[in-house]
Amino acid sequence: MVNFTVEQIRDLMDRVTNVRNMSVIAHVDHGKSTLTDSLVQRAGIISAAKAGEARFTDTRKDEQERGITIKSTAISLFSEMEDDDVKEIKQKTEGAKFLINLIDSPGHVDFSSEVTAALRVTDGAMVVVDTIEGVCVQTETVLRQALGERIKPVLVINKVDRAMLELQISKEDLYQTFSRTVESVNVVIATYHDKVLGDCQVYPEKGTVAFGSGLHGWAFTVRQFATRYSKKFGVDREKMMQRLWGDSFFNPKTKKWSNKDKDASGAQLERAFNMFVLDPIFRLINSIMNFKKEEIDTLLTKLEINLKSEERELEGKALMKVVMRKFLPAADAMLEMIVIHLPSPVTAQAYRADQLYEGPADDEHCLAIKNCDPKADLMLYVSKMVPTSDKGRFYAFGRVFAGTVKSGQKVRIQGPNYVVGKKEDLFVKAIQRTVLMMGRSVEQIDDCPAGNIIGLVGIDQFLLKSGTLTTSETAHNMKVMKFSVSPVVQVAVEVKNGNDLPKLVEGLKRLSKSDPCVLCYMSPSGEHIVAATGELHLEICLGDLQNDHAGVPLKISPPVVAYRETVEGESRIPALSKSPNKHNRIYLKAAPMEEEVSLAIENGIIDPRADLKVRARLMADEYGWDVTEARKIWCFGPDGTGANVVVDETKAVQYLNEIKDHVNSGFQWASKEGPLLGEQIRGIRFNILDVTLHADAIHRGAGQIMPTMRRVTYASMLLAEPRIQEPIFLIEIQCPESAIGGIYSVLNRKRGQVVSEEQRPGTPLFTVKAYLPVNESFGFTGELRQATGGQAFPQMIFDHWDTMGGDPTDVSSKPGQIVLEARKKRGLKEAVPGYEEYYDKL
Amino acid sequence: MLYMIGLGLAHESDITVRGLAAVKKCKRVYLEAYTSILMSADKSKLEEFYGREVILADREMVESESDKILENADVDDVAFLVVGDVFGATTHTDLVIRARDLGIPVESIHNASVMNAVGACGLQLYNFGQAVSIVFFTEDWRPDSFYNKVMENRKIGLHTLLLLDIKVKEPNIKEMMRGRIVYEPPRYMSVATCCQQLLEIEEKRKEEAYTPETPCISVSRLGSPNQSFKAATLKQLAEYDAGEPLHSVVMLGRQVHDLELDYLLAFADDKDAYRKAVIADQEYFKPPPPPPAPQDIISSDEE
Repeated sequence: MVNFTVEQIRDLMDRVTNVRNMSVIAHVDHGKSTLTDSLVQRAGIISAAKAGEARFTDTRKDEQERGITIKSTAISLFSEMEDDDVKEIKQKTEGAKFLINLIDSPGHVDFSSEVTAALRVTDGAMVVVDTIEGVCVQTETVLRQALGERIKPVLVINKVDRAMLELQISKEDLYQTFSRTVESVNVVIATYHDKVLGDCQVYPEKGTVAFGSGLHGWAFTVRQFATRYSKKFGVDREKMMQRLWGDSFFNPKTKKWSNKDKDASGAQLERAFNMFVLDPIFRLINSIMNFKKEEIDTLLTKLEINLKSEERELEGKALMKVVMRKFLPAADAMLEMIVIHLPSPVTAQAYRADQLYEGPADDEHCLAIKNCDPKADLMLYVSKMVPTSDKGRFYAFGRVFAGTVKSGQKVRIQGPNYVVGKKEDLFVKAIQRTVLMMGRSVEQIDDCPAGNIIGLVGIDQFLLKSGTLTTSETAHNMKVMKFSVSPVVQVAVEVKNGNDLPKLVEGLKRLSKSDPCVLCYMSPSGEHIVAATGELHLEICLGDLQNDHAGVPLKISPPVVAYRETVEGESRIPALSKSPNKHNRIYLKAAPMEEEVSLAIENGIIDPRADLKVRARLMADEYGWDVTEARKIWCFGPDGTGANVVVDETKAVQYLNEIKDHVNSGFQWASKEGPLLGEQIRGIRFNILDVTLHADAIHRGAGQIMPTMRRVTYASMLLAEPRIQEPIFLIEIQCPESAIGGIYSVLNRKRGQVVSEEQRPGTPLFTVKAYLPVNESFGFTGELRQATGGQAFPQMIFDHWDTMGGDPTDVSSKPGQIVLEARKKRGLKEAVPGYEEYYDKL
Repeated sequence: MLYMIGLGLAHESDITVRGLAAVKKCKRVYLEAYTSILMSADKSKLEEFYGREVILADREMVESESDKILENADVDDVAFLVVGDVFGATTHTDLVIRARDLGIPVESIHNASVMNAVGACGLQLYNFGQAVSIVFFTEDWRPDSFYNKVMENRKIGLHTLLLLDIKVKEPNIKEMMRGRIVYEPPRYMSVATCCQQLLEIEEKRKEEAYTPETPCISVSRLGSPNQSFKAATLKQLAEYDAGEPLHSVVMLGRQVHDLELDYLLAFADDKDAYRKAVIADQEYFKPPPPPPAPQDIISSDEE
């Protein structure tokens, strides 16, 4: 029994001030999907009995089996608020009906890219944190991502039931735990805070924090209790909220409030939060769990909870669930936070626009996004692809930022490499249908105005993974998403039966579409490579490929790690290469680039597509570059965006600008496959010292310049102490003290480095953080489980590239071994060529 | 001995008598087959004519595997055949340098090249300035450095010979980046394409090195029996179909001798209009009038 109609939803879409686009984000297993169930149940999509167990948004079979979320799932919910609540909304609203577009995202680090895709289309985030485990590595990662996208957070502290029932924690201890969690969330927020967002820390006394149990379906905010008591005490609700959190105490004898925990006679006072908020909950739960029938009845009457006759029969946990759900329905607390405190698209797009759009901040499209204008030209960002029931086809899932998208409408589909005025990466096609995404099903609607989230049918073949849809020829792209994870673990796949090859190729295409982060490509030696962010991600992708996308039996190689090639010194002499016709010469030197510059490029802070002067200024101010040199950066690479730069340091060379494009192309080619083991180049600055050119354009075309640039790039690297970099995971393990010895011994065996070891206050749990080379991470989880008797589970997330000590051209060193293996595998000559191979004598 | 032999412009029999004699005694004969083509002769015709096997030397061979060509050339005789003249619009100096380094004696046997045969259009070779190549524009590569050279020529009143891009065996860039070599189908630039590109650059630079009304000559299949010329303005040639390749274009300078003009008018559709265009064009880059003769100054002083 769904208690709203598609028409109602469609109707609300036009009143954008009453729309909330939000994602639910958290560390793995902190209870996002379970909490989401409560909201879904309120909307009548699943029955109350199932809420907390159904995990409605976990639509895939493997998600249900493993009990984790793998793909983010969207659902639109309709909600009607009390007038009293509506009054508190500090942004423009219309009426009391609200449309909530909710996206449940995965918590496992391997699927962070799904979170990124979800965040892009939402304006607010409900951050869920486990009371016992507290803020974990992924909590921090997703929060950082959210703030980076200018997403406003609210907090839900979940699994309070476990603290009360399993740990039998006291009221004051529970308050302290809550307080610590709120504090550590605020520390993260303060660290990654964006000024434009204003204050977005969370405060229980302002109603931006909820406490509850997703599993049992109850939750509350301080505001809800304040509402109850403000009537009783005759105090203003705002004031009451302040009193119900923090160092605020009530003296029952004098009926006075105080900010000291002792009264005049020195007697202990109870904290207001404990007395007015926690006490009723503790009493209720204790009486039920201890089967004190009479006490239960008095409490129920006092709290105005009415049970049906069959519910009165229940006992123990079952009764507790029913009672708590009636007393403090989780959906109420969450809806209240979402509607009152999260921004509407109108509010949010005003400050998000300039960060969402690649073009100038004052052009008509950016202004349309800013104003969330449904009548402007269409600006829609597709953030991911969702498989349809029709095998091999996808819904393009995204958000309308300006204009209105309609069924049958002709749109320009602009891929990530599209540049205004050019035809590359551009299709003009009609949208077949527009649909509302409702978890496992979809509902067809005719059109969808700015500010809403939508699924599109019929354009999946024209988009690789994500892209911009528009109706204007002058519109730039929406900014491409930056992922916090990289595909560093890869395998080669081949078919068992040769005839199945076309199916594999097709399957790889579909796999690549279905996941924002997976990378499928053909290696130079002709192998099909699937690269993923971690072992679990890889496992899921390969499972999908084998069972679904390709549907044929596959042979899968053991996983290998992606490396990077870099240099440690400056080229000891200028490298020189001549073009095939010998009439053109390039002199080049390679030198290591500062790691922070590399990171800034990879994180999009230094944006290769940004305006040259703005970028040069940033590099000068923040990274100590010389402005004139920064302006002379010719290109970034590989893929035009990688963490290597080519800088023009020539003086007065004629025709130089006519070879710039060829140099760029040659550099993209070279930086994609380095000279050591054919891996990408990273962290190198290449300085073009001088260039000699033939006087006639015909003898300095692409065919002459490109191979020359490639050769001279290689030569300059081999002259500059080449090194390889390996990817490093940051791992976080929560475990009891007894397991720590086991963890250390496994880490030692695996070249791991412990970063920190801390006890979580108030719990017997320890958190160990360590760096672990990705290369050593295969089977790490299993070994750890063995060594700790199953008490330690690691979370692994890609952290950084680490330059390996040792000369990669010397086969007796560790890097030398890696290079040798990789070269054999790729069918290259075993020994790394000397620089002479690419160097031409004068 | 390495013989560098020019083949002339069109026919297998355009080779010089000395050249032919050299080819006939050579052990290996290479035909450079990428900077130009011999318009009316293919490999088998040449082999029949020379009575020798001819090895086609493509770009890879000449540029990257020159050692193969020079192998044993210090004892054996090797011929390297070049369409046109040996050192015309080519880059073969490198091959000669390498031969010299290896101690191989080199003898060049010359022939006609577009650089001199273009005199057939009626303009005097003395009055030509720097020759420039016009390359096929691509989406993001539209080099315009030729514009400056045309400007320099025109400033001092010289004609400009424009050589048009030919892509006989050009590797595909995208495939090259994947480590494979795949050749594009051969392409030859037409007079019309060249003139359109010239107009585009003038439109962009607006420095009036030339205008749409500047008189030009279309030269097609130079050196073959069906060679033809057309005298018209740049704008007109941008829509002119010059027929089969190969094409070249000459842009006139200010210094047009009466005899030159008389010769040219035979190639013009509308002789009057062309004459007017030539006269009008002489207004550009006109030098200041010569200073008055000394006696004139004296006489004016006396007054």
